[in-house]
Amino acid sequence: MAAILLVEDDPLVRRGLQLALSRHGHDVRTSDSGEQGLEQFRASTPDLVVLDLMLPGIDGFEVCRRIRDAGDVPVIIITAKGDDFDVVGGLEAGADDYVVKPAQPSVLDARIRAVLRRSGGDTGDLLVHRDLRIDAAALSVSLRGEPVTLTPTEMRLLLTLARSPGQVFSRQQLLEEVWEHDYLGDSRLVDNCVQRLRAKIETSPATPEYVETVRGFGYRFARR
Amino acid sequence: MTGRRWLRGLRARLLVAFLTVTVLGAAAAAWASARSASTALVDGEQRRISETIVGQVRTVTPQLAYPPDRPALDRLRTVVGEDTVVGYRGLRSADGAETRLVTPALRSAVRARGRTVTQRITAADGRPWLLVGMPIVRTAPNGARTPSGIELYAVRSLGGVEVQIDDLSRSAARTVALTLPLAALLALVAARSVLRPVRELRDTARRLADGDLDARTSPGGADEVAQLTVTINEMADAIQTSMTEMQRMQADAERFVADVSHELRTPLSTLTAVTSVLAIAADGADPDAREAVELAIAETDRLVRLVEDLIEVSRFDAGTAVRREEPVDVVAAVRDCLGARGWADQVDLVAPDAPVVRLDRRRLDVIVANLVGNALRHGGPPVRVEVTATPQELQIAVTDGGPGLPADVAERVFDRFYKADAARARTPGSGLGLSIARENARLHRGELTAGNAAGGGARFVLRLPRDQGSEAAPCTPPTSSPAPEDR
Amino acid sequence: MRRVGLVVLCLLLAGCGVQPSAPQDAGDAPTGVARGITLYFVDSRGALRPDVRPTGRLGTISEALALLLTGPGDSSLHTEIAASTTQVGTVTTARAIQLRVPLSIREVTPKGIDQIVCTALGVHVQGGGSRRTRIQLLFTTAPASASAMLRTCPLTD
Repeated sequence: MAAILLVEDDPLVRRGLQLALSRHGHDVRTSDSGEQGLEQFRASTPDLVVLDLMLPGIDGFEVCRRIRDAGDVPVIIITAKGDDFDVVGGLEAGADDYVVKPAQPSVLDARIRAVLRRSGGDTGDLLVHRDLRIDAAALSVSLRGEPVTLTPTEMRLLLTLARSPGQVFSRQQLLEEVWEHDYLGDSRLVDNCVQRLRAKIETSPATPEYVETVRGFGYRFARR
Repeated sequence: MTGRRWLRGLRARLLVAFLTVTVLGAAAAAWASARSASTALVDGEQRRISETIVGQVRTVTPQLAYPPDRPALDRLRTVVGEDTVVGYRGLRSADGAETRLVTPALRSAVRARGRTVTQRITAADGRPWLLVGMPIVRTAPNGARTPSGIELYAVRSLGGVEVQIDDLSRSAARTVALTLPLAALLALVAARSVLRPVRELRDTARRLADGDLDARTSPGGADEVAQLTVTINEMADAIQTSMTEMQRMQADAERFVADVSHELRTPLSTLTAVTSVLAIAADGADPDAREAVELAIAETDRLVRLVEDLIEVSRFDAGTAVRREEPVDVVAAVRDCLGARGWADQVDLVAPDAPVVRLDRRRLDVIVANLVGNALRHGGPPVRVEVTATPQELQIAVTDGGPGLPADVAERVFDRFYKADAARARTPGSGLGLSIARENARLHRGELTAGNAAGGGARFVLRLPRDQGSEAAPCTPPTSSPAPEDR
Repeated sequence: MRRVGLVVLCLLLAGCGVQPSAPQDAGDAPTGVARGITLYFVDSRGALRPDVRPTGRLGTISEALALLLTGPGDSSLHTEIAASTTQVGTVTTARAIQLRVPLSIREVTPKGIDQIVCTALGVHVQGGGSRRTRIQLLFTTAPASASAMLRTCPLTD
């Protein structure tokens, strides 16, 4: 039972998705515009936001950015299928995952649950790598004593990599591990998330010391 | 063979015609002039010889005893020179070996006409001779002439004249020969001036054929070629106009499909959302209602797939489809594709190689899914997927155990909404699957072909070049911040 | 192409050279043989008469005139030329034959002049000369008109 904010301008689609997600056991509130969505987001602090990118007024990208600025509440965007501009723009704006229109409620529900699982606790170990300190139980990270705010997805990606330093993970592996996607996952999700993570934990994101790129294959956490 | 083809060329034909006319003309002129010159030469020589002999005879006759005796005949013969024979009734005075050449025809002509007669002959050895024969007549004081009975025949060589004539002929032949290179040069120049506009026209026509509809030739002059040029330019204008019109209409149609498809998404989103609610709700309903709900869900799914395929097709039409490359373990990708659709135990996957190829994983999945889905629906078991690779090329062949494709179907199987027979009209595909698969193959600069396997089943072969070239989109995310691939 | 050229060249060469012919006319036959010289004297009735001297050949105008000036000999004919010598010079020009006779105009009658002209012309025509040739007589003494006069033979004219 999660509190979900659905921002969608078409009333029939909005109502249909609300009905379907409610059937899947979620508590769904709705907004019909970006402005109203942001207002409701501040008022109700939902567990997750489902956001249509095509909105009148403030568009979905801007709404996503503001939600991301406000904290680590996960965002799933709804895009037109194969519309790369939407996908890339949404991911850059900080979205955790995306589904394509017309969204299958079962797929959307699976994504929602996967994202929310990342926010849940983990086996409580403490990982320390040089200046980086990762508390898996509390899901908190600090860099040289300073706390770093990560979204659940960024946290889960960091944990996955940091638990096996030196092991190379392909994008596909990470998609299945972190995003719980099937075999056709979109590797751009991984690349975008790595960039956001580096921006937060690396001193110089261009020459990363923790999350390294293995050219042509994937990523790994640097061995000490 | 090549020589004959060369002769069929316009340039060669012009050249040959020009040379023939020139040489024939020059030869005829040379021949005519050489002939008249040689006739004049022979006539002049002939006259000179006969007049000389007549003159010599006339210097002697007044002092010649008449009727002549043998010494008188000898004297006359001596004055005329060698190779001469003089006769009077039974008397005969001859000198020189060539006198035997004198012909009976000449003798009878001399007797019949009573005048000086000449005749040209060619001896057995080919040398030309002039025979001169004459009677010597008696003239009365009043001018009346009567034969004297004395006849004189002389044989003179025409070898000198022949040498002169041969020189003349040779120089005429040389002149004709000299006109040959000159004529060839002129013919080449003429052919060039005729062929240059023709060649320009050909280039223009080729550019038009290659799709450059702006290609024109500026017509020069007012000859037939210029008229042809004007006509071809007009034709190009007409083609360009109708092509522009067709392109506009096609663009309109494509935009219409794209717009309709996008507009359909919104109601489909609602439908997709609510049918899942209906499915849950119908669990407790009566069988008819449940069947109705199942039908609605199935048709909604079909509608969704159709719209997705239409959007994909319109993206290919508009040229906005891009491929996102990454290194893909092709065999694993095919296995995943089959597994995700529950086809793993219906399909034999044969993969002697394990190529890792840079390509768009999603588009490869679309191609394989469409080919295998098609084989399972329309062909028959066993369905076989073979993945083979060379350093240059990746090949995926999908073969089924069905009856195979008739030739006319194999040609059209990639057409949009093509249905080989009425029985297939209600199959679950959108009718765009194979068309989209082929477009995806082409997006990878590859090719997808349909044919039949040796065993009789239909066989679809996908060939993709392994070097996808530089136009490929990068696999790293296209963002403004530095790419993660930095070490 | 090459074959055509060869054929043309062959025709060219064959058309030239000296070709045999049938017997062709080449003008008058020569003349000038005669059994003797024809001289002209005057008979008893005063008419010119030819008198053939059988010399066996025609000879020249000078020889004939020398014989003429020598006289008719034993015959019924007589001459009207009173010559003391027989030497005659002849010069043949394009239009006429000039005869330089060793006589004065008074030593010869008009018939006598005809005797000289006809004898000279006869030899000239018998030797192949033209019948239209005229005779110019140059006397030792004579009026200019008589010497300039172009004469012809009344018998053969």
